[in-house]
Amino acid sequence: MVKEECKALLDALNKVTACYRHMVLTIGGTSDSQNLREELKKTRQKAQELAVANRNKLTTVLKDKTVSKEDKAEFERLWVIFSTCLEILEIDMRRALELGHEFPLNVPKKHLIQTGMSGGTSGVAARAMSVQNMKYEAEHNIDVVDLKDLENEINQVGEMMYEMEMKVNVPQWTVEAKQDPGAELKSTISVGASSIGMISVEENKSFCDISKVLAGIIFAAVLIIAIVLAVCVVKLS
Amino acid sequence: LLKSCLVVIYRPETEPIEALMMEMQNPDTGIKTQTQRVLITNIPHAVAGNDIFQWILQRLQITEEEALHLGDLFVKYGYIYPLLEPKNLTLKTDGSLYRFQTPYFWPAQSWPADDTDYAIYLAKKNIKRKGILEEYEKEHYNMLNQKINYKWDFVIMQAKEQYKAGKERKKADRYALDCQERAYWLVNRAPPGMLDVLEYGLNRVTDPNEKKVNQVRQGLLVKYSEQFLSNDPILSGCLPSNPWITDDPDFWDLNAKLVEVPTRMRVERWAFNFNELIRDPKGRQNFQLFLRKEFSGENLSFWEACEDLKYGDQSKVKEKAEEIYKLFLAPGARRWINIDGTTMGITVKGLQHPHRYVLDAAQTHIYMLMKKDSYGRYLKSPVYKEMLAKAVVPQETVKKRQGPPWGLLSSAQTKPLNPCEVKVTAAAAEQRASYLQVAAGTRLVALEEAGFFLKWVFPSQDEGCVVNLGRLNCSCFLKLSMRCQSQTGWCFFLCSSSTPQPSKQERGIMDFHTIVSSKAYFQVSGKNPPADLLRVWLVFP
Repeated sequence: MVKEECKALLDALNKVTACYRHMVLTIGGTSDSQNLREELKKTRQKAQELAVANRNKLTTVLKDKTVSKEDKAEFERLWVIFSTCLEILEIDMRRALELGHEFPLNVPKKHLIQTGMSGGTSGVAARAMSVQNMKYEAEHNIDVVDLKDLENEINQVGEMMYEMEMKVNVPQWTVEAKQDPGAELKSTISVGASSIGMISVEENKSFCDISKVLAGIIFAAVLIIAIVLAVCVVKLS
Repeated sequence: LLKSCLVVIYRPETEPIEALMMEMQNPDTGIKTQTQRVLITNIPHAVAGNDIFQWILQRLQITEEEALHLGDLFVKYGYIYPLLEPKNLTLKTDGSLYRFQTPYFWPAQSWPADDTDYAIYLAKKNIKRKGILEEYEKEHYNMLNQKINYKWDFVIMQAKEQYKAGKERKKADRYALDCQERAYWLVNRAPPGMLDVLEYGLNRVTDPNEKKVNQVRQGLLVKYSEQFLSNDPILSGCLPSNPWITDDPDFWDLNAKLVEVPTRMRVERWAFNFNELIRDPKGRQNFQLFLRKEFSGENLSFWEACEDLKYGDQSKVKEKAEEIYKLFLAPGARRWINIDGTTMGITVKGLQHPHRYVLDAAQTHIYMLMKKDSYGRYLKSPVYKEMLAKAVVPQETVKKRQGPPWGLLSSAQTKPLNPCEVKVTAAAAEQRASYLQVAAGTRLVALEEAGFFLKWVFPSQDEGCVVNLGRLNCSCFLKLSMRCQSQTGWCFFLCSSSTPQPSKQERGIMDFHTIVSSKAYFQVSGKNPPADLLRVWLVFP
């Protein structure tokens, strides 16, 4: 029971961290906007909430002496995943701060880098916040105003990580991964091609998919006709 | 002060390039952009190589050769990436298209490309390309899987989530993102055969860009170099002889941790600074003799107890901390140490929740006390002078190297283990081949800094093989892996008794005095894995 709760919390933090990474990648490019900065703010605050929840749950469990040896090993594995995730989050927050300073949005002389991006990140943000649509309510100069908050939050996260290092003694290097190399291929990721570009060599693949679909339709049509004919033959005879 | 001097390093600056990058974006005075057409999608902001070249020429008013070189550097460092031939990181002065890299992926000193991120990228690529990675990427993947195995579950989780999050963006953006990421990793993990531009040479201790030289720092560096010159075995040779060259291990025997009579060089080194004295076990022993005469022996004992707490078995932290308190800190303790009220207060409070660093404040206080007070008197004391007089100056010997390289390790203290013959079959080759087990209770080293070897031999002539030396699971510390690409080879694993936590360096500095149980395993991979015997030895000096 507790294991499931911990895993769920960890999955949530992992998801938000991944979304945050996507957004930080966008700072300074042509998709950068006040909306993006607001999305960044909301996402990282959600991440921090999840981090605290994760930490509380895991530290309680790790301090519990009545936990069995296998369970303890499992919780230690989750702890390592959690602290690695937090490291990534902290680094991305620091980068967001640096990039935020480097690319203020309302300064006419500072131009955004033309990175080839034209769409927004609201879908990513909605995914992070687990909502259908994002609502934007921040002020028009959040890109500058938010930086101070971000700095404070970075310090908070840093302190949390330091405390975690000091209070919880899990030797990271003793954890063995459950997943084998290549495990990411086995799960059912949707087959639809995610990007058109990498497939410059694999254009054939998309054609094959189309032709497979066509073949399927034709086959189904032939089957139906055959069944209809068979029924007619039976009826006539 | 000297230590901090040696820690700061200076690398090439990037700010001027970033300023230029931003200028290039100016709609009036920057570079004109075009649209790139990929299948049925249009992706904006492509620039022609020639336009970049001309812009640099105009803006900086330099020669054509310089402008071309500079533009080329922009591409090599990853500020701009080519669209048609991603691996060809040169600036072509024709209509070849490039695009600007997103600022997150700009090369920057404070954000070196991280192994974890690279692993996530490779896992993502695996998902997108359904397992089709390039050869060198597969090797990196396998290597990382071993090197950061404890993070691997996270790597997979994060890769999947980043992939899914990417789907929330529009198609053209997804394409641009893929190109950006690919370009970044081509610069930061250059494929074999490509120039590794981020290799900027040695780390410097002084800032090469500083207009005026920092006299103090340089002075310290010079002083340190001068002082230690005679002790540097590479620059000044070592007596009796360098074991690596002559196969004579006398040098190690004479410099053993608690040898009866230390060498003169070693004893002289204790006079350089307090750190040299306290880091040498023999030095501490001698210093303790002196301190006992002054009735302040408890200081050094306390310091040693703190070190044991920091670097010793963590499961015993609580008991150790309690014992130390009872012996040294409690009011009326048998060996009460004299520290000020504030420090005592902090320490006692911290002891309610003991951990390895709980005695840091007190330890530092005692260290400084010994350094400022006792050390000076020690150097003038008869105890030290006697040791200096007794110290031995070894005769230089020159012995020719005889026999195979591992012969040098046979001396009274060495015990090469029985070679373990690990059979590698073609089928098993792709997976973990086998284990080599070291008996529990094996004492590892007598020296402060020594290590052990892993030697392997492929009898067959197969060139295409890679031996991944896997983790060494010790009772404590580091998992490391090294890639060795040859039929026969040596890998030296350095052990040191003074690292508290496993260092994150490649070579892996491990800390163990006694192996409880060790396993090393070997993964053989490559195009033609041999169907032969793989011989492995674990040898200790």
